[in-house]
Amino acid sequence: MKAILAVMYREYKIRISSLTWLFYDLLMPFAYLLIFGIGFDRAFSTGIMLSGEFVTYNDFFLAGVLSMACFGIAINTSYGFFVDRDNGIFYEFLTYPMTRGQFLLGKITFNCATSLVQTLIAVLLGAWVLEIGIRWELLLFVLAAVVLGTSGWFFFLTIFALRIRRNDMFNTFINVAYFVLLFVSSLFYPIEPLPGWMQTVAYANPLTWHTDALRYFTIGLGDLSTIALELVGFVLFLLASFWLAVRSIQRLI
Amino acid sequence: MNPIAIDVKNLVKVYHKRGQPPVRALDGISFAVPRGQIFGLLGPNGAGKTTTLKILTTLLPATSGSAHILGFDVERQPFEVRKNICVVLQENAADLYLSLRDNLRTYGRFHGLDARETETRANHVTELFDLGEYRNQRLIDLSGGLKRRLQVAKVFMVDKQVVFLDEATTGMDAINKRTTIQAIKQEARKGRTIVLTTHILAEAEELCDSLVIVDRGRIAASGSVEDVKLIGFKFVHVTMMFRRLNPRTIAALRQFTPVSMETRNTSIEMTLKKESDVLKVLRAAKRDKNFVNFEVGGATLEDVFVELVRMPREESR
Ligand SMILES: Nc1ncnc2c1ncn2[C@@H]1O[C@H](COP(=O)(O)OP(=O)(O)OP(=O)(O)O)[C@@H](O)[C@H]1O
Ligand SMILES: [Mg+2]
Repeated sequence: MKAILAVMYREYKIRISSLTWLFYDLLMPFAYLLIFGIGFDRAFSTGIMLSGEFVTYNDFFLAGVLSMACFGIAINTSYGFFVDRDNGIFYEFLTYPMTRGQFLLGKITFNCATSLVQTLIAVLLGAWVLEIGIRWELLLFVLAAVVLGTSGWFFFLTIFALRIRRNDMFNTFINVAYFVLLFVSSLFYPIEPLPGWMQTVAYANPLTWHTDALRYFTIGLGDLSTIALELVGFVLFLLASFWLAVRSIQRLI
Repeated sequence: MNPIAIDVKNLVKVYHKRGQPPVRALDGISFAVPRGQIFGLLGPNGAGKTTTLKILTTLLPATSGSAHILGFDVERQPFEVRKNICVVLQENAADLYLSLRDNLRTYGRFHGLDARETETRANHVTELFDLGEYRNQRLIDLSGGLKRRLQVAKVFMVDKQVVFLDEATTGMDAINKRTTIQAIKQEARKGRTIVLTTHILAEAEELCDSLVIVDRGRIAASGSVEDVKLIGFKFVHVTMMFRRLNPRTIAALRQFTPVSMETRNTSIEMTLKKESDVLKVLRAAKRDKNFVNFEVGGATLEDVFVELVRMPREESR
């Protein structure tokens, strides 16, 4: 536990060393919702058909924004490995009295806390400013899903950040991953109207699983048995990624 | 309590890089370090010193062989090993975007100190290594030598049983080198075991209770500093004084293929492999009308080092 707290303490020190970064981190999802969401809300003024019901685009998109925010924090945190490696401190960390797993857990615990704060800001302002119909009784599940999502994506990206040793190559990887995962998922639009092959890919995409769960927990739309299955899938994805990420640290030097 | 702090047996490390021939960085290295000793790993660039330290500090798995720190297997009990060591890596390691003070703080926390203890010890090493005026500066704004000083200062914040120093004093000015050497000595007196690598042989001679000279992944010599120097017992060190140096005399002396030869303003120092050469050398020197006097002594660690790592592989075994 002491080791995990030490990693969190260091993440905290790094984060408050740049206030712009902190500000951006916390407000980004809401800003996204405000600008992108309002644009689409006006463009699709009839709303979006989901599970046989019409919802406004803002209602629909809140889960997408939260899911994207988890992914974004995971990207930032995994980029941190490149900075730490260039500074050499990464290798020194690995000689400190902690396990590889504790190191990753400490990093992600702090960043999950950031995710939670930005989620609360987006949900509260979304409900107040954009009048999104939040299912408040499910808020705790939203927060739990945010923790799962941020950790899952962080462990997944860590595998690549540690194996792809070049910053510029990792950049390309992130661009491709971002493009495929975000656009072939339920993040920006519902999956049902998509062509068959795209549906197949989208349903195999952990980002869809995570976004669907968030959508159910924020506005109560979706099929509960499907969501349960998707959540189990995401937890398995998280565990497998964690295991591979820990293994990737060993191969690093 | 096991009197052996570090036990290395037959360590082999082969680096495999895609598209490149494998590199056999360690080719069966064995040594043991008793508790409370200062132990030196010496050797030319690429000899395998850092590779050895990386294996001992759980950064790198060995290809074969075994290594134990305080009885813990580095491969199978890495966490136990890490709880008992602290390390200065050869490469710089610092959180460049944090202040010097915050670097010390995070280091203390990582090594299990509470907030108050961390502050006390951070203040202590800041003073010891004369870093006070840079306390609030970010590391990215500090000079290379200062970064190194901080990196070394950190290990003196915590009480770990075994300390690894990979060329700790590189890039430091003379005063801080002295501080580091004094601090290392003091730590050893407290009963800690210290393993260091260095290229500064005078430093090794001053600090080490025992040492090994590693060359191309193998041990070329080992023992106490005196033992290792004895390998060169047949070497003779001759110092000759002249009123003025004559290039022709220098050329004549070179003919004796000394292990090393150094010329200063008015003196020539040579290390000779054969005692029988001494008289011939002196005869050659006396032919110079500016010759004043001479001194004969034993070999230095440096002479042994130079000779050992220059030998072709077959001889050095
Ligand atoms: N990651 C690596 N991949 C491939 N080869 C490596 C790697 N690290 C070291 N080597 C090779 O292993 C050998 C030993 O290197 P090592 O860094 O242990 O030497 P060293 O004794 O510490 O040298 P120096 O005095 O220059 O620090 C060298 O031939 C080096 O090129
Ligand atoms: Mg080295």
